[in-house]
Amino acid sequence: MENIIDVQHLSYRYQDTDGRPALDDISFTVKAGEWLALVGHNGSGKSTLARAVDGLLPFSEGTVTVGGIKLTPETVWEVREKIGMIFQNPDNQFVGATVEDDVAFGLENRQISRAEMVPRVKAALDEVGMQTFAQREPGALSGGQKQRVALAGIVAIAPDILILDEATSMLDPQGRRDMLALVQRLREEKHLTVISITHDIDEAASADRVLVIDDGKLVEEAQPAEIFAQGERLIHLGLDVPFTAKLKQALQDRGITVPTGYQTTTEMEEWLWQSLSNT
Amino acid sequence: MAITFEHVGYTYQAGTPMATPALSDISFTVPDHGYLAIIGHTGSGKSTLIQQINALLKPTTGKITVDDFTITPQTTNADLKPLRRHVGMVFQFPESQLFEETIQRDIAFGPQNFGLSEEEANQRALDMLKTVGLDESFADRSPFELSGGQMRRVAIAGVLAMQPKVLVLDEPTAGLDPQGRQEMMTLFNRLHQEQGLTIILVTHQMEDVAAYADEVAVMQAGKLLTCATPQEVFNDPAWVQSSDIAVPRAAKFAQQLDKRGVKWDQLPLTADQLADQLVQHWPGMGAQHE
Repeated sequence: MENIIDVQHLSYRYQDTDGRPALDDISFTVKAGEWLALVGHNGSGKSTLARAVDGLLPFSEGTVTVGGIKLTPETVWEVREKIGMIFQNPDNQFVGATVEDDVAFGLENRQISRAEMVPRVKAALDEVGMQTFAQREPGALSGGQKQRVALAGIVAIAPDILILDEATSMLDPQGRRDMLALVQRLREEKHLTVISITHDIDEAASADRVLVIDDGKLVEEAQPAEIFAQGERLIHLGLDVPFTAKLKQALQDRGITVPTGYQTTTEMEEWLWQSLSNT
Repeated sequence: MAITFEHVGYTYQAGTPMATPALSDISFTVPDHGYLAIIGHTGSGKSTLIQQINALLKPTTGKITVDDFTITPQTTNADLKPLRRHVGMVFQFPESQLFEETIQRDIAFGPQNFGLSEEEANQRALDMLKTVGLDESFADRSPFELSGGQMRRVAIAGVLAMQPKVLVLDEPTAGLDPQGRQEMMTLFNRLHQEQGLTIILVTHQMEDVAAYADEVAVMQAGKLLTCATPQEVFNDPAWVQSSDIAVPRAAKFAQQLDKRGVKWDQLPLTADQLADQLVQHWPGMGAQHE
C-alpha cells in the first residue's frame, strides 16, 4: 500500500524563545486505509502534530507530504481538501443554524452547486443515521448526535483522511462505542485513512498501529497489543491500564504466576478457566 | 451533613404550556459522611436532581432536608444563603467559570463574598491551592494560561474555599486524561476520608462507582429506579440488563466466568476483589489458607 501521509524530521516551536520545541524531529508514515492512533499525556504534542499535518501550523523544519503533495503555503488548500478533522467539543465547530445547513457548509465553501449539494447532504446525514434531525438546531442535540453531525459534514466532502482529535472524550460510554462503530464502518465503506488522537483504550485498540508522543518526541511505535502489555506505565503514556492488565497485576500480587504479554478479555477468561479447571 | 429527599418532583416551566416533568416522586437518604454515586443515561434527570440539593432548582412537589435546612416549593431565596455555603457544587467543566486575573483572586472570590476579609480570603486560597495539589507559585499566575486539568483544579479549589460540608460533583473527570482522572478521584476520596465531606457524584464511570461509592442511585426517565449499595445494584444481571445500565469491567468479566461455572461468594466489582476470590479457587492455593 502507498503512504498517504509522509512526515519527515518535523519540528515546531510555538515561540522562537521557547526552550523546548512542541514537536521535535518527528518522522513517520501512514498507509492509505490504515487506522493510526496517536497517544500521549496532555501537553505531549499530539494535537500539535495533527494540526501540522492539516497545514494549521507554520512549521519551519521538516516536510509533510499528503497524498503525494508536499505541504507548502501554496498547496495548503489542496492538502486540506484531503483531510477532515473532528475536535473534542462539537459545539466549537458548528456554524449552521440547522443540522443540514451545517453539513452543507463544507460543500458551500467548495462552490458545489445546489443541485449537487442537496442530495449529498441528505446522503451524508443518512450515512450517520441523523436524517430525521436535518431541520433541527445543532445546539439542541446530545453530545453523541453532535459528533454524528460533525461526521456527516466530513462524509459530505469525502476526504481521504479523517483526523479525530479526542472526538469521543466528551461522550458517555454508549455514545463512545456508537461513534467508534460508525467511524469503523465509514472507514471500510469510504476507504478512509483514520488518525485518532485519544486517551481511550478502546479507541486505541481499534487502531492498526499506535504512535506514542512524549514531550514533542515520537518515543514509540507499535501494535496496540504491544503497547497495552506495558501495564502501569500506560498511565504515563496518557492511556488507561486495560482491565486484563489490572487483573494480572492483582493476581501476581497474590502470588499467582501469570502469562506475559497482553491478553484480550477473551484470552484472559480462557487462561483463567483452564488454570482453575487444572486440579 | 445528611440529605433526605421525600417524594420530590420537579417540572421545568411548571404551570405553562411548556411544562416538562423532569423528576417524579424521588425519595432517598444519604447519611452524614456518605458517598453517593448517581448514574443513568444522558437526559435521565441526574443534573436536575443534584441542583435540588442546594436549591438552584426548588422542588415542584415534595421536600428536601439537608441537615437542619428544609427546602419545599415554598422556600424563599432569602432562606437559602447558609445552605448554599455548606453545599459546594462542581458543575461539568467548572473551569469555564474562572474569571479573575490571578488564581489566588479567583479562589478567594467566594469566601470574600461570604464575609471573610481580603487577607483571610487570600490565605484560604493559598491553603486550597495546596489541597488540590498545586504549589504556591501558581497563586499570582493567570488561571487562563494553565492546562485544562490545572484549570479544573483551580475551579475546584474555589468551591472548597467555601469549606462546604457536602460536595456535589457533576461528571468531574469528563474530558481529562486517565492520569488526571485518577488524581481527581483520589483528591475527592481524600476529602471524604480526612475531612468527612459528604460526596454526591454524578458519573458514567462504573469503575469509580465500584471503587468509591457507599451507595448508588440509578436514574431513568426522571425516576429513581433504585438506591442501594453497588454490590446490590450490580449483582442481578437480569435487572441490570433490563434497566440498561453498564456494570464495572470486573463484574462483567466475573459474570462471563460464572457462565463457565466459576461460582462467586459475592459478585466482584474491582480487579482486587476478583483476584481475592480467584485465589480462593486457585489449585494449590485456596486450600493452603484453610
